[in-house]
Amino acid sequence: MIALRTSPARAQPPLASAPYDRWVTPDGEVKAEFHRVPEGILLRFPDEADFLIDLARGIAIGWPAPGTAPDHYDSLFQHGVVPMAGNHHGGLFLHGSAVAINGCAVAFIAPSRSGKTTLAGAFAKAGYPILTEDVIELVPDGANYWLQPKQSNLRLFVDSAAHLFGRTFPVDEEDNKHSFAGGEDLPFSAVACPLVQIYLLGSDHNAALAIAALDGQAALVQTLPHAFVLDVADKPRLREHFCRIAQLSERIACRRLDYPRRYDELLRVVDAILTDIEVNRNTK
Amino acid sequence: MNQNQRFQASEDVVAREVAGEMVLLDLSSGLYFGLDPVGSRIWERLSAGACSLAEVCDAIEAEFDAPRNQIDQDVRALFADLANRKLINQLAV
Repeated sequence: MIALRTSPARAQPPLASAPYDRWVTPDGEVKAEFHRVPEGILLRFPDEADFLIDLARGIAIGWPAPGTAPDHYDSLFQHGVVPMAGNHHGGLFLHGSAVAINGCAVAFIAPSRSGKTTLAGAFAKAGYPILTEDVIELVPDGANYWLQPKQSNLRLFVDSAAHLFGRTFPVDEEDNKHSFAGGEDLPFSAVACPLVQIYLLGSDHNAALAIAALDGQAALVQTLPHAFVLDVADKPRLREHFCRIAQLSERIACRRLDYPRRYDELLRVVDAILTDIEVNRNTK
Repeated sequence: MNQNQRFQASEDVVAREVAGEMVLLDLSSGLYFGLDPVGSRIWERLSAGACSLAEVCDAIEAEFDAPRNQIDQDVRALFADLANRKLINQLAV
């Protein structure tokens, strides 16, 4: 775990170093930059927040940028700093959402803006509680991986929210999303569940609905980009992290899921996944 | 590429066999690569210690049912690809 100490908001000062790594969205937007500084690693979310990460002391000092809403600042820490520090210390965190189905966890792994939260919301609406909406934390125990519940604010695009809840919502911020307090309107699971299946969401938002089994090699290669890596130059840790994900790919069934990102298709997608899980369970 | 030139796996590569096929991660670049079952056997040889093209071809010929000239051609192509991507290093003579 890493503790957060929040300092007063400040304008982001220029940094002398060039970033050694960046998070860039598929649209080319820089979401975060990683800088080495004498005190540790400085993670900068441009115009949103800075976090100075001191791994030796297990502390992150955060400075929200002026105008950054407190819940968004907290989300940057919980969904960015915490999983990276966790993986750095030998944990297993992936970018994705998950739901509980009959006491088992099913994960949807995908980059931001791929529909994973909306899909989890559709399952919740159908009675299957959400385990997490953005960060998957897995704790290995024997042959099982226990997916940890993370009840957080659920941030949905307002059109997704309108579809799921049948009414309209105001936009909270500039990103056209609305925040729901954890558990509000949609059920969240409060207990960890063993992971039984992973779905990797395809990037074609107009694709026809299709579910295809992935072999271990494909599962590993397609899961790797969704891990949180703090220091890409720390080769011993990268090696260990790679092996942890490889082991996950060997043990947990993995599927590629393509589907059209249309609200009127969501129920059909949910049904197809439920059927697929049942078939997989019966063939084990 | 000389038949007797020796190569070894780069120390910057971590490999893992998953369901019979190898996945390589180049720690320097963050890029990863998949190998088919024959490529996986070749990688096992390379990561066990330095070996030559000829030695690897001999090993593959002993294990797989394929014409020698086809094995030579395929192994040579894979070595060239791995070397271009800096996943294996050519040893000084």
